[in-house]
Amino acid sequence: MDSAQETVALAGNPNSGKTTLFNALTGSSAKVGNYAGVTVDLKRAEFHTPHGRKLTLLDLPGCYGLDESSPDQEIARSVLNGSHVKCPKPDLVVSVVDASNLERHLQLTLQIIELDIPVVVALNMVDMAEKSGLRLDPVKLSEELGVPVVPIQANKGKGLVELKQAMAHPFPPAAEPGWKVGDEQERRKFGLNVAQIAARRPNQQSSSVSDKIDSIVLHPVLGWVCFLGIMFALFWSIFSFSGIPMGWIESLQDFLVGQVEGAIAEGDFSDLITHGIIEGVGAVVIFLPQILMLFFFIGLMESSGYMARAAYLMDGFMSKVGLSGKAFLPLLSSFACAIPGVMATRTIDSAKERLVTIFVAPWMSCSARLPVYLLLVPMLLGGSEGGSTQAAIFMAIYILGTLSAFLVARVLRGKLGPDEVEHHFMLELPPYRFPQWSYIFRHVLDRGWAFLKNAGTIILAIMILLWAASTYPKLDSDDPAKQLAHTVVGRISAAIEPIVKPLGFDGRTGTAILTSFAAREVFVGSMAQLFQVEESEEDTETRSRIRDRLASETWADGRKMFSPAAVISLLIFYIYALQCLPTTAVVAREAGSWKWAIGQFVFMTVFAGVASLIAFQTISFFTR
Amino acid sequence: MPNTIAEDLTVDSLQSLSQVQVGYDFQIKVLDGPGCDQLRKLGFCETLQVRKLANGRNLICNVCGTRMAVSSELAKQVKVTPLKVGV
Repeated sequence: MDSAQETVALAGNPNSGKTTLFNALTGSSAKVGNYAGVTVDLKRAEFHTPHGRKLTLLDLPGCYGLDESSPDQEIARSVLNGSHVKCPKPDLVVSVVDASNLERHLQLTLQIIELDIPVVVALNMVDMAEKSGLRLDPVKLSEELGVPVVPIQANKGKGLVELKQAMAHPFPPAAEPGWKVGDEQERRKFGLNVAQIAARRPNQQSSSVSDKIDSIVLHPVLGWVCFLGIMFALFWSIFSFSGIPMGWIESLQDFLVGQVEGAIAEGDFSDLITHGIIEGVGAVVIFLPQILMLFFFIGLMESSGYMARAAYLMDGFMSKVGLSGKAFLPLLSSFACAIPGVMATRTIDSAKERLVTIFVAPWMSCSARLPVYLLLVPMLLGGSEGGSTQAAIFMAIYILGTLSAFLVARVLRGKLGPDEVEHHFMLELPPYRFPQWSYIFRHVLDRGWAFLKNAGTIILAIMILLWAASTYPKLDSDDPAKQLAHTVVGRISAAIEPIVKPLGFDGRTGTAILTSFAAREVFVGSMAQLFQVEESEEDTETRSRIRDRLASETWADGRKMFSPAAVISLLIFYIYALQCLPTTAVVAREAGSWKWAIGQFVFMTVFAGVASLIAFQTISFFTR
Repeated sequence: MPNTIAEDLTVDSLQSLSQVQVGYDFQIKVLDGPGCDQLRKLGFCETLQVRKLANGRNLICNVCGTRMAVSSELAKQVKVTPLKVGV
């Protein structure tokens, strides 16, 4: 970037259409800048004015004012003051204002004017404001504020040329505040007066389409019917539709393995590429369709305006465990992957509630647990996959994780005590809008890429390490069992067997559990490798072969190794254990403390171990 | 001070947003309580018009064309006076 290049910052209240404007101005060149240690995202891109001048555009986090100390507002304030370490002080601020709500949105504009920076007001969503009967006067607004005002419709790309003209060189001078700078009361009064002059509201307010929809979706009874129906449709779609793209990824993986095996001579290097890297990384990539679908549905709910309604409905229920409706979205996201779930807690006002939500989020059964459940649950049902009993057990697993999370949240919230500043539930219910498809797809792709980048790189490293540990040191023997016992992994298995035996597992299962501490989904591949099951091209067939092999395994005294007690114990371990290093890293960053992340890891691991132990010993006692 | 007493009497005679009936328009007269800053930040300012849309643990209202869900605890801190008969 040219150091002399000027910077324009987009600032505004949440929901004012900033990101839509940012994307409309910058097109496909927009990128997300996720700086380490910063708790909110800053977006940065470049664009050209009508005169061909290149400018840097910053999308600041949405905020209601600059006088609060929450992390997002701190970011916005530090950027506008020029004290942010990664961003220069902007040369111009475009204050994005929702035309339907000038009374509130102008307050931030006035605070920015007080900072003595040139300001241009982008009066957004003028179509919706006028449709609601509001009579806008942008010229009057410009005169009163002393800054250029440009009416726009960012979602339809209208008014962008005029806005770019207003940003052309030379920038407008910084406006003279028409109130006593720093006097909040005067500033507020000034803002309300300007809003009344520039936007005349109709005398009679009529019910809008959103009001009519809300009368159903927020109804005490019908609202819950809608909510449960939407949630059911969401999960059903994720687990049924994603099978098709998952099949494509499997085929691609097999194709790549075939190509490598054909091109490279058999040996350690070929083995590392095929079994270590392609199959290892493939084990993560396989879940990408489910993750993308969940993000797509969440994006749909956010974009349409339903998400705020769901948070409203859930608030009463969540309050019983010491959380608020705002914790609902992060917990829902965690069913796909705890990483975006933990990141979504940024919207929670109360710091203590946020910490508790981060703590329990990994107990929402994420999609990485699915392969483990798919392997183990049929072992309780005589080996066959599918059927209503399996569906019921799956549902019980999800409910057990969720209820346990709520129970721990309640205890932890009580231990942390009340907030220093009491936070009450307060949420804007935006009008329903048709989803912005381009935004949703961009969001889904961003999240998908972040998932691959965060999880894929770590998985790749672990897979290479695991491959090396289960290959070396080599033994001069053709017996794979003896070879494995001689490797680092084999020696670890022998060492940990006394520890995991009370839980119902032998050393090999214990080692498979150990390998899956980096990522749960590794478990299936590890079990196949450690119990020497030949993997098939079909995942279903591979799981079936592993199950047959496990079913025939016995202890030295002839007892069945994978009894129902042992399988249930294993399932319970996977419901509760925090086996995901990227999640731990994200928790440390979001909670601002490695102590919290390590505490969570230790607690969940110990809890999983104790719960498995109790389950195995109790079931064994009664079935003996 | 007489003014303060008069103001106190006025505030005492006002109803809170949590007390008033659904479907009617009101004018916000006073914000009185520890949640004032939070309320002002989201657009609940003195002199503005508010319509109450639903009751409950979190009540729903419309302030300057924006629908808001507000906890009844916060709504108790918004003192209003009737404006006119609603729809």
